[in-house]
Amino acid sequence: MNFRKNKSLFLFLLPGLILYSIFFIVPTINAVIYSFTDWDGLSPDFNVVGFDNYINIVTNDSIFLKAFVNNIKFMLFVLIFQTVFSLIFAMFLIKNTKTNIFLRALYFFPTILSSVSVAFIWTFIYDPSIGVLNTVLDSINLGFLKQSWLGNQDLAIFSVAVTQVWFHTGQMLIIFVAGLQAIPKDLYEVADMEGARKWDRFRFVTWPMIAPSATIVMAYTTIQSFKAFDLIFAMTRGGPNYSTEILATLIYSTAFRSFEFGYASAQSVIFMIVIALITVAQFRLLRASRVQE
Amino acid sequence: MKAFKIILLSLFALVIIIPLIAVIFTTFKSTTEVFANILGVPESFRFDNYVSIFVDQPMARYFMNSVIVTLFSVTFTIFFASLIAYAITRMFGWIGVVFFSLFTLGMMVPAQVNMIPLYQLVFDLGLTNSLLGLILVNISVTMPVAIFIMSGFMKSIPKTLFEAARIDGASEWKMYRKIAIPLSIPSIAATSIFLFVMHWNDLLYPLLFITKNEYKTLPLALLEFQGEYATNYPMLFTGVLIASAPMVLAYLFLQRYFIEGVTAGAVKG
Amino acid sequence: MKKWVCISTMALGTMLAGCVGGSGGGNESEEGGGGEGTISFIHWRGEDKAVFDELIAKFEEENPNIQVDMTIYPSEQYQSTAQTLLRDGSTGDVFTSFPGSQMEIINQAGLFEDLSGEEFLENYNDELITAGQIDDKQMAVPLQLVFNQPVYNAGLFEELGLEPADDWEGFLALCQELKDAGYTPIAFPGSDIGPGQFMNSMMMNNAPEEDIFERLMAGEAKLTDEWWVQTLSQFQELEERGFLNADSLGTNHTSAIAQLANEEAAMLASGSYAMAGVKEINPDIELGLLAPITTEAAEAEWEGINTTTFMLAVNANSEKKEAAKTFVEFLSDVDNASTYANETGQHVTVEDVEYESEELKSTSEWMDRNTRFQPRFLITNADIERAVIASIQSVVGGETPEAAAEEAQQIVDENLD
Repeated sequence: MNFRKNKSLFLFLLPGLILYSIFFIVPTINAVIYSFTDWDGLSPDFNVVGFDNYINIVTNDSIFLKAFVNNIKFMLFVLIFQTVFSLIFAMFLIKNTKTNIFLRALYFFPTILSSVSVAFIWTFIYDPSIGVLNTVLDSINLGFLKQSWLGNQDLAIFSVAVTQVWFHTGQMLIIFVAGLQAIPKDLYEVADMEGARKWDRFRFVTWPMIAPSATIVMAYTTIQSFKAFDLIFAMTRGGPNYSTEILATLIYSTAFRSFEFGYASAQSVIFMIVIALITVAQFRLLRASRVQE
Repeated sequence: MKAFKIILLSLFALVIIIPLIAVIFTTFKSTTEVFANILGVPESFRFDNYVSIFVDQPMARYFMNSVIVTLFSVTFTIFFASLIAYAITRMFGWIGVVFFSLFTLGMMVPAQVNMIPLYQLVFDLGLTNSLLGLILVNISVTMPVAIFIMSGFMKSIPKTLFEAARIDGASEWKMYRKIAIPLSIPSIAATSIFLFVMHWNDLLYPLLFITKNEYKTLPLALLEFQGEYATNYPMLFTGVLIASAPMVLAYLFLQRYFIEGVTAGAVKG
Repeated sequence: MKKWVCISTMALGTMLAGCVGGSGGGNESEEGGGGEGTISFIHWRGEDKAVFDELIAKFEEENPNIQVDMTIYPSEQYQSTAQTLLRDGSTGDVFTSFPGSQMEIINQAGLFEDLSGEEFLENYNDELITAGQIDDKQMAVPLQLVFNQPVYNAGLFEELGLEPADDWEGFLALCQELKDAGYTPIAFPGSDIGPGQFMNSMMMNNAPEEDIFERLMAGEAKLTDEWWVQTLSQFQELEERGFLNADSLGTNHTSAIAQLANEEAAMLASGSYAMAGVKEINPDIELGLLAPITTEAAEAEWEGINTTTFMLAVNANSEKKEAAKTFVEFLSDVDNASTYANETGQHVTVEDVEYESEELKSTSEWMDRNTRFQPRFLITNADIERAVIASIQSVVGGETPEAAAEEAQQIVDENLD
């Protein structure tokens, strides 16, 4: 019954699904198959090693664990600040005045730049001797706040996370703007008539209406922060002493530095599972927050 | 509250403007000047770098390639993804969920991992060193993001609209065209901007598939300014600025649809 | 809704146009690929683009049947994509390789065409091209010769009456004097290449046997042994006595180059390849090379470090091997190698090259000194290489040498078979 109702809709899936199968699903299945081998990524032959790669990752790979922990730190920081900032800015800039349109465009600007340029700009900002950040802190008498932004092993991952937030807040802002604009004005009128305060307006009108966009933003930010390979690689290459190594940079090194393509594939399968779990958990949480009232 | 708003907005604006100025200044400087003072005003505003970037290499060609690849990739990603997003939203029961998950999974695979199998495939199909190959891969790789964003928005279209149309005897195709798409214009515009930026700046796939000068895209051409030990930052940033100009235009063009989206919503309300 | 019809017609139109345009492109590429004599040359030296453009123009003039299509990748991208592209023989008829792990893997995949017995090999210094040999076969010829040891401001040393030291105590005293005179003794680009470069001269005499890393990878030597712990504690000494620049772990090579060029720092812990960059910022600076001797003068076996790199090779899967070899031969010619050396400010392994610049002349003497092939490149396992480098960053970041060595050895153990 369901199937018949869906029949004409399958035609809609067709063009995209064909391309997706050829250029995405097939190579990915290949990669998963390689995760059970010791292929180096180059030689014509390899051996099947069963679950050895997976067992190794879990029992005998201290760097993988480190990268995982770093990745969670990075993700949480970016997720919280990027979502909060982009939501606040979207609410501030929702009206289409000239200033707001200009600011939205300005905030979007970093997104246009390539990761390599962003990395270069921010290495200059964080540079200990000629860096913009320390110079500015000195000049406004906040010299005691000066830090070894990328050199301090406890701080570096957060410094990189700040760059990521700078890079993508404007992008998320757009999603929220699109979401906020879909809220019918009369809902607020009703809320006003009932004498709702600002917080109530947000809690009972804006939030439930904007939850779909929030879901998108948060899931996308999470995935993006797991895949922030280009930026981190160009800024720190995972150093100093693995302190900014995340899973994506680790997988890259495993595949193309150590030439353990099979092992890298196993690492990425675990990577996919982790992101999938986090994303599903987020969907559940956000749905719950909407249903509550 | 108002003061807080102004302070916050201006602070974030500054945090973007200061590095932006540094980038613009850098394009007028020599390497020596850059390292002397990154924020300093250049000695003179000469356009040598801008001239030589066009003289020394076939920039127009790279530009055209980038434009072709980006336009086709964005158009078809949006077209295919909106079809799929619509179908997923309209499908009943678990089938929709299955397809949604299948496509969403595409966002979660690190590109580094399927790139070797993907290269093999593209090579076997004879699509290396061709813009068509690049476009096909681009569409497949970014479709998940587009589906993800657009289906999120399409879900919030009131179901009653579709039911009413159905009673009037509208086909799915007609509902897609007359209801889903017009009501999704703001999210389509937002998604398009995402895709424009992604395809325009993409380096990984051109790097893999394009080795002949005649098919190179802009990001690939900009790589030549990066050396093993020394990078020509003034030239690199000149290239970056020139390359970002079309994106600014694309943004300004698409922003109109946000505004239209608002007015449409207001009329409806 | 006319608008929508319009859009969909446009979409359909673009689809057709896309196919036509795309397939047209495909045909063109086949013609280009099949046409006899266009070879692809891939490498990672963006700074050499101009000189290669010039050399290729000359080559095409001398060999009208062969065209060279050059593609340059930054070294990171080269690492990741070059091998993939090489496999099918369509790209990189002439390619370049780093010594060490990359060379090893390309060899295992059988992508090196054996160049043994080619006449042009005679142009090279026999000693210096051994890095391109595997099992007595010449798989590649390294074109560049670099010295991976600190560059110093020779003018400043002279002004202060200082000389490079010949033992560890002397080196520390030298640093102290520089510090007292208000200079940063060593600019150490600890965030990128610094640890991997400086480690070579720091350890060369602590572990004078050239097979030390081979033994480490075989599990016969450990990082927790005296030679490495000693090296780490000497790094610690430099850091604790304030001889490295402030926040060296947050300093990259570009910024460290600027510190030497602006005469804030007296030494730069990278290598001879940085000299051209320093000169570009400060053309008047006089530069030299020195290596810290970490032992007593009498115990020091090595004076410095060399690396022969940028190894030219011919792709074994190429369909145009002869044309490719002609191009390698052309680059091996003394005149062309001289052009390359002088315009890029690099030493080359080709003999009888006339060096023009002051730096190249003054550092040429290092060719005759007792230098050791860069030990780091003998670590053919990249995970172990990273662990070794990370232990240096860890010590400079405040960890004790013993603990850092322990942690690194654990990673080594995880990677032993």
